[in-house]
Amino acid sequence: MGTISSALNMMSQTLDADQSALNIVANNVANANTPGYTKETPTWQENDPILIKGTLVGDGATQTGAESQRDRVLLERLDQQQQLASASGSRLTALDSIQALFTPDSGSTSSTAGDIGSDITGFFKSFSSLEADPTDSSLRTSVLSSASTLANDVSSAAKSLNEQRSGLDQDAIGVVSQVNALTGAIAQLNTQIQSISPNADAGTLEDQRQLDLSQLSQLIGINQVSTENNGLSITTTSGQLLVSNGSNYQITSGSVSGVTHFFVGSADATAQLASGGGSLGGDLTARDTDIPNTLASLDQLAYSITTKTNAQNNAGTDANGATGAAVTSSTTGAWTLDIFSPPPTLVANTSSGGTDVSGCAAAMSAVMTDPDLVTAASLGQGTGDNSNAIAMASLASQTIVNGQTPTNFYSNFVSTLGSTVSNVQTENTAQTASVTQLQTQSNALSSVNLNDEAAALTTMERSYQAASQMFAILNTVMASVLNLGEQATVT
Amino acid sequence: MRVDPTYLSSLTTSLDQTQSSLQQLTSELSSGVRVTSLSTDPVASGQNVLLLNQMQQDDSFTQSSSLVKGQLQVADSALGSVVSQLTQVITLATSANNGTMNSSNVKSISSQIAGILGEITTLANTSYQGQYIFAGGQTSTAPFSTSTATSPAVTTYSGDENINYLQMPNGGKIQLNVPGDQIFQGSGSNSVFAALNSLVADYASGAVNTTQAVADTNAVSTALNYVSQQRVTIDNSITHLTSATDAVASEQTQLTAAQTTLMQADYASVSTQLTLAETQQTALESVIAQLGSTSNSLFSKI
Repeated sequence: MGTISSALNMMSQTLDADQSALNIVANNVANANTPGYTKETPTWQENDPILIKGTLVGDGATQTGAESQRDRVLLERLDQQQQLASASGSRLTALDSIQALFTPDSGSTSSTAGDIGSDITGFFKSFSSLEADPTDSSLRTSVLSSASTLANDVSSAAKSLNEQRSGLDQDAIGVVSQVNALTGAIAQLNTQIQSISPNADAGTLEDQRQLDLSQLSQLIGINQVSTENNGLSITTTSGQLLVSNGSNYQITSGSVSGVTHFFVGSADATAQLASGGGSLGGDLTARDTDIPNTLASLDQLAYSITTKTNAQNNAGTDANGATGAAVTSSTTGAWTLDIFSPPPTLVANTSSGGTDVSGCAAAMSAVMTDPDLVTAASLGQGTGDNSNAIAMASLASQTIVNGQTPTNFYSNFVSTLGSTVSNVQTENTAQTASVTQLQTQSNALSSVNLNDEAAALTTMERSYQAASQMFAILNTVMASVLNLGEQATVT
Repeated sequence: MRVDPTYLSSLTTSLDQTQSSLQQLTSELSSGVRVTSLSTDPVASGQNVLLLNQMQQDDSFTQSSSLVKGQLQVADSALGSVVSQLTQVITLATSANNGTMNSSNVKSISSQIAGILGEITTLANTSYQGQYIFAGGQTSTAPFSTSTATSPAVTTYSGDENINYLQMPNGGKIQLNVPGDQIFQGSGSNSVFAALNSLVADYASGAVNTTQAVADTNAVSTALNYVSQQRVTIDNSITHLTSATDAVASEQTQLTAAQTTLMQADYASVSTQLTLAETQQTALESVIAQLGSTSNSLFSKI
């Protein structure tokens, strides 16, 4: 059987244990709003019982430390979903600014500047008007002004797209430098965790590593691989190593034909990073897929309208009766009666029979300044003839742009762009919802719930009080024993 | 069961969402536009481009048609005057041909007819907004000129055979002019100017070769009929233009209705949604106020 002094000993141990548990609760409360902090719960262990004269006697309990409440599988799942959500999020931001360039013209009256669809109609419409009176100089002037409106709107849209593209380029470089900083931090934490706590959860260090991982997941798509001694390796989703235990590998950037590419080691990982996720993935997808697609459509539109209308205008007779339009520059492919400046790829395409349209939208501009040079009359006809104006106007209903009429082409283009934006929106909403759900699950397990802490505090306090009371009683008992019947020698 | 202790922050996220939908609804109400960006309704955005294109083409046709209508009406009234002038010539010639007139009267008839010929030449050289309307494509110079060097005098046409058309939005064409030589210098006995010039020459001396004069008078009536026939082409174009303009106007009304339905906000449903969103916002705010109050914490009870 145990002795009174061993009971006293047990109580002092209990007071220690309770105090240490209270300390953990206090730490939880203090860190209730610390980002990345994981709730810790005290762990208790029953001390080994002692066998005295064939009877097992209890030996109290000790508080063996704090245990962080985390679920690694859930956290990794959350990180992965976060990578998808931030990829679609940053792509959506980029797409939103792309589609802002093509805001639908809702007015039912004639065009407001900025809607290319109305500009196209307005341009061909000006030739329809010219049919009514082919010699009228105000109608001719309106042909030129609608041509320059169209050219300005197309080229300024293309220029904005190029600016957005280089903006995304800068964004991506910024993101990559953050990624490098975070992988460096994770590598350091790996070293610390492996030396301090190779076999168990590393508590606050682990909290920091998880926080870094979740930040990293917003930036780039990664895979996590746990290694020996609580270490962690990180690769991009396509397998390039970023962190291996204590060392990290920087992502470097370099310009490849005017576009920033990203390298892990010596390998160009730009395409893999674009599809990998994170805001870097979203930025690169917008930069390398969405903007080029949009630009390609605009280029095609600009190239076709420019070459077809120039050719048709050069095939007629102008208001001065001049015909026989001829090449004025073999380097640009310009003719005397060009309405628009010839596309930059025209000469190369003509000699090679190619269909390169790149850069044509940005370069689109109306060069004709003299309204008399608009050719309303056919070749060899008097200036009162309007058949070339009819031919110009009817280009609007011919399939001159990639097998479609200009208006249909533009209509399909805005529908396609709108659908892409709308799809990414839906995708992003779903992914964000799923992130929220996972976050809620993870919070339910790992966040500090102040009510829980209040309850734990009360419990520990009571336990502490009980131990103190027990100690006092044992003390009284001990006093009685010491006095052995003598009155009031020891109290 | 454990719950997410950070429910307040998820509530504020909901509040943000409600607020942004409020904003979207308010902007729909104030602008009256439902589709403010392509992604709101990609199909409608695409349709909108096509509808606007059609509407603007109709718009342009309506404007052009009022312009060409003026020109056609000028041509029509010029031809109307030509017809009445020619009728007068026939009356004069018939009176000269009946053999009762003395030579000075015949001479005066000759000069009257010459005067009418001058007027008809002026009518044939009618211009509209500075453009000669019976000159084919050569609208910058007067198409008809008369040379009196020979007898009978010769009127020549310097225009061409060009015919202009106005294209309708549905692809059809309306003829805008008839070349002057087709009206005034038809082949054979259909030529107004040839017949008139011969008549002037017939009566110029005062002595009438009746056989020749009668033949020339008949030629004038044939030419008169011919001019009337050509006038029908112009009249047809006017009728055609009027009905096309009406058709285009009614099409435009329908297109506008379609475009409005497609792009404009439905006020009733937007206001209902707005009310719902407002209610939700108020509810969320009071939930946050209740839950966020510190007196709910267990700490305030111990």
